[in-house]
Amino acid sequence: MPSPTFWSLVESSLTPSYTLAIIAIVLVLGGPIILHLILSNSTSYIIHPQVVLVGPDGVGKTSLMTLFERGDSPSQTHTSQKSHSVELNASTDSSSKYSYKNHEDTTGTHTKFLLIDTPGHGKLRNVAMERLIRCERLKAIVFMVDAAALGEPESLAPTASYLYDILLFLQKRASDKSNNKKNNTPVPVLIAANKVDLFTALPSTLVKTNLEAELSRIRSSRSKGLLDSGVGIDDVGSEEQDAWLGEYGSEKFSFKQMQEFEIDVDVLPGNITGDGPGAEKWWWWIAQRI
Amino acid sequence: MLDSFEIITTTGVVVWSRTYAPIKPSIVNNFIADTFIEEKSGSTAIQDSQSASVNPPYKNDQHTLKWTIVKELGVIFVAVYRSLLHLSWVDKLVDNIRTIFVSLYGDQLKKPHTTLVEFGTNKFDEYFDQQLHELDKASGIDASGVPEIQLNSNLNDEPLSAPSLTYRGRNISQGGLDATSNGSSPPDTPSASRPSTPSNNNLLVAKASPAARLSRRARKKNNANAPLLSSGDEGPGGRSKKAPKKGRKWDQDGLADEEDDVQLDYSAQTNPLSDSEAEATGRSSALEHVDSSTWGSTTKGKFVLKDLGDEVHDILASAEASQAASSKNGSKGGLIGSGINAVSGLFRNVVGGKTLTKEDLDKAMKGMEEHLLKKNVAREAAVRLCEGVEKELLGVKTGSFESINARIQTAMEASLTKMLTPTSSMDLLREIDAVTAPPVTSLRTRRPYVISIVGVNGVGKSTNLSKICFFLLQNKYKVLIAAGDTFRSGAVEQLAVHVRNLKELAAREGGGEVDIYQKGYGKDAAAVAKDAVAHAAHTGYDVVLIDTAGRRHNDQRLMSSLEKFAKFAQPDKILMVGEALVGTDSVAQARNFNAAFGSVRTLDGFIISKCDTVGDMVGTLVSLVHATNVPVLFVGVGQHYSDLRNFSVKWAVEKLLSST
Ligand SMILES: Nc1nc2c(ncn2[C@@H]2O[C@H](COP(=O)(O)OP(=O)(O)OP(=O)(O)O)[C@@H](O)[C@H]2O)c(=O)[nH]1
Ligand SMILES: [Mg+2]
Repeated sequence: MPSPTFWSLVESSLTPSYTLAIIAIVLVLGGPIILHLILSNSTSYIIHPQVVLVGPDGVGKTSLMTLFERGDSPSQTHTSQKSHSVELNASTDSSSKYSYKNHEDTTGTHTKFLLIDTPGHGKLRNVAMERLIRCERLKAIVFMVDAAALGEPESLAPTASYLYDILLFLQKRASDKSNNKKNNTPVPVLIAANKVDLFTALPSTLVKTNLEAELSRIRSSRSKGLLDSGVGIDDVGSEEQDAWLGEYGSEKFSFKQMQEFEIDVDVLPGNITGDGPGAEKWWWWIAQRI
Repeated sequence: MLDSFEIITTTGVVVWSRTYAPIKPSIVNNFIADTFIEEKSGSTAIQDSQSASVNPPYKNDQHTLKWTIVKELGVIFVAVYRSLLHLSWVDKLVDNIRTIFVSLYGDQLKKPHTTLVEFGTNKFDEYFDQQLHELDKASGIDASGVPEIQLNSNLNDEPLSAPSLTYRGRNISQGGLDATSNGSSPPDTPSASRPSTPSNNNLLVAKASPAARLSRRARKKNNANAPLLSSGDEGPGGRSKKAPKKGRKWDQDGLADEEDDVQLDYSAQTNPLSDSEAEATGRSSALEHVDSSTWGSTTKGKFVLKDLGDEVHDILASAEASQAASSKNGSKGGLIGSGINAVSGLFRNVVGGKTLTKEDLDKAMKGMEEHLLKKNVAREAAVRLCEGVEKELLGVKTGSFESINARIQTAMEASLTKMLTPTSSMDLLREIDAVTAPPVTSLRTRRPYVISIVGVNGVGKSTNLSKICFFLLQNKYKVLIAAGDTFRSGAVEQLAVHVRNLKELAAREGGGEVDIYQKGYGKDAAAVAKDAVAHAAHTGYDVVLIDTAGRRHNDQRLMSSLEKFAKFAQPDKILMVGEALVGTDSVAQARNFNAAFGSVRTLDGFIISKCDTVGDMVGTLVSLVHATNVPVLFVGVGQHYSDLRNFSVKWAVEKLLSST
């Protein structure tokens, strides 16, 4: 036997009122969203520092990533189509700090970081660039080149043009004042001159000067080149200064000019397979920047 | 015989490989670039998990590559063999290895932040060998088969040590297959008790065989519901089929024997008794085979091989079964179930996290296809793009608060970007400099850079040629324009007008120099072009721009003269002018032109004219690139000499996807 209060409750719930309507609306609309937020991966995750490996195809990026991961020797590789990351630990105070063979090392403090490999094929350039842009804690960029092939203009020109795009991206990022501070920290670049085990390999000083010379040429021809489709005549003036890599108006480009934007560029030789200095120098460079 | 079999992730890591004859890594690299990145294989989208027999084989001059891809896991299976061999069983091998690998290690490939695949017990090697033997044999073209006589004599001489030395009739080094298995086998495994004389061996067989039969029966029971097995070699029919192939049994046993050592390592999986029993029977078979043809011993003889074979068949069968089950489940589901599905589907549509099914996609993709058609993309290209995106999205979960349409939009953006991005970017001025002022270190001599412009009638060849010339003059180059249209009356005069205008502009702005090279009408265009290049080289021009006669792409006679033209003029770049306008059979045009320069030469790029007249409907350029894989380099955006632009992929993709 229902009590009269029950009936009055029912009655009042059936009479239209604003509060009820609003509660109902909130429930109907908000419920699923709240439910979804609870159901969907609510686990909070920490973002590890990130180091991105870029460079033209076939220079050894994937080889380096697998070498660091495995410690002893790199895996066999073929052309990459997607970017991929591995989790690694670096340290600046452990007994094996200079080496990536630190899997069993228990001394010192180790910092986890992600090493992100990207595809080098020309058609997938924007996959690599997009991966770069997506990084939330980008600590460093390793631009790998094939020191054994850089003597040839056929290899130097596309390599330098890719490097140009990367450096210009970093320069714009550093000089973009509107950006929030997270994205504004300058990112150092390591030019890893790989394959120095081969007898055709250029010494790293020559790798550096060849790249600088080619970058100067690219810079001057780009400043004279046709406009891109979609760029109106009106926005030309403002674009011009931005699109100039390094010190504006300078005749020769050098990596030092990037310091104007607090971007350090280092060139270090190494090799992943064969006899030579190995990949330890690169590892130490990365370890110091995480 | 195979040269190599590789399992490669799309991220570029070789997770497993078996090499019989070393091949250059570039073969597989080119295969990946051509098939997956540049998608040269043709107009069909690459299908997920499709059988290797359906996927177009990749051929280079000596090798054939059969392959299949599992997109979800990002893993490619590829077998390489000499094209001369026509190995018909390779398709099946690739398919089966894919199934086995995916069901055993598929989960590992999903793990983030690692490239390592733990094979753990290392058994995959054996599974592979088993499949290779089974299929190679089944096809009946196993050329390597060891003659029975040799087998017998081998047996009599050295019953125990022979197996590890021969591998499919070829001697293999001990270091190959054996090294891994021996190295990893702990010293205290039952192999330590391996009998050292044949007589002992026999004794052991006698003891072990009841247990063997028992465990075999047990296994049989387990396999009873596996469809593949029952159809295979269990029945008497299967047995009799096997009989004529006894000649190769030595292989089998040889292999089986090798495997024993490995198998012993996995005592965690198989109990020690069955291990030693397996070994023993394997051995006994080798002995008994010589004189026995009774059913019992034959069974026993095949035992070890079967054991492994059973395992492999089990994996294959269960993978097949689970696939069948999942597809059945998908189509079933009660009324209530489907109701809930529908509601949660709608819900997930809004908030994301929905797994995309074929039905979801079909409808949305239709919309996308129509959108592309509206933008003037040719139907053929639109269908292929949509197919590609659909394949890619099938089974994908949408992100939080991401609608299906938004997901499709991003996927299409990626597809279009990939299609339109050239393999190597082009910087015209840099290229000209490299040719006209070669670095002293290179041994090349200075020569003019040659560009020729082709296309159908009235698309704006001369206009665009003049625009390029104007751009070059602005950069102070010395340009020679060759009047290669010796066919249409008035063409030379028209070009001369352009040259006069350009000269004036150059003089006013202090730019470079320009002249015309012409030999009137009726002359062979190829010869005129050749002379022009020679003349330019002599008199120090930087660039030669060759105008050509407009020709209909189905005009056999004129089209065939293009090959000679390319041979004579040796252009650095052959650019085709195409219109952005609707209604032209642009795809056929581009195809025919691209094929007209002979087997060694193709178009280098497109100039798309009249882009200013079509607004957002820039779909024609997608059709052209789709049909030829030739990149768009420049777009014409107006009537003035300065209205030429570098093609920006981003710009085009934005226009194509914008909704109006
Ligand atoms: N001689 C020599 N070869 C190397 C060295 N490092 C890598 N290679 C070889 O270079 C080839 C290409 O290496 P990958 O790591 O696949 O190159 P990648 O940069 O990832 O190439 P993409 O994925 O196409 O961008 C492999 O065959 C490596 O074995 C080295 O230090 N010396
Ligand atoms: Mg790679």
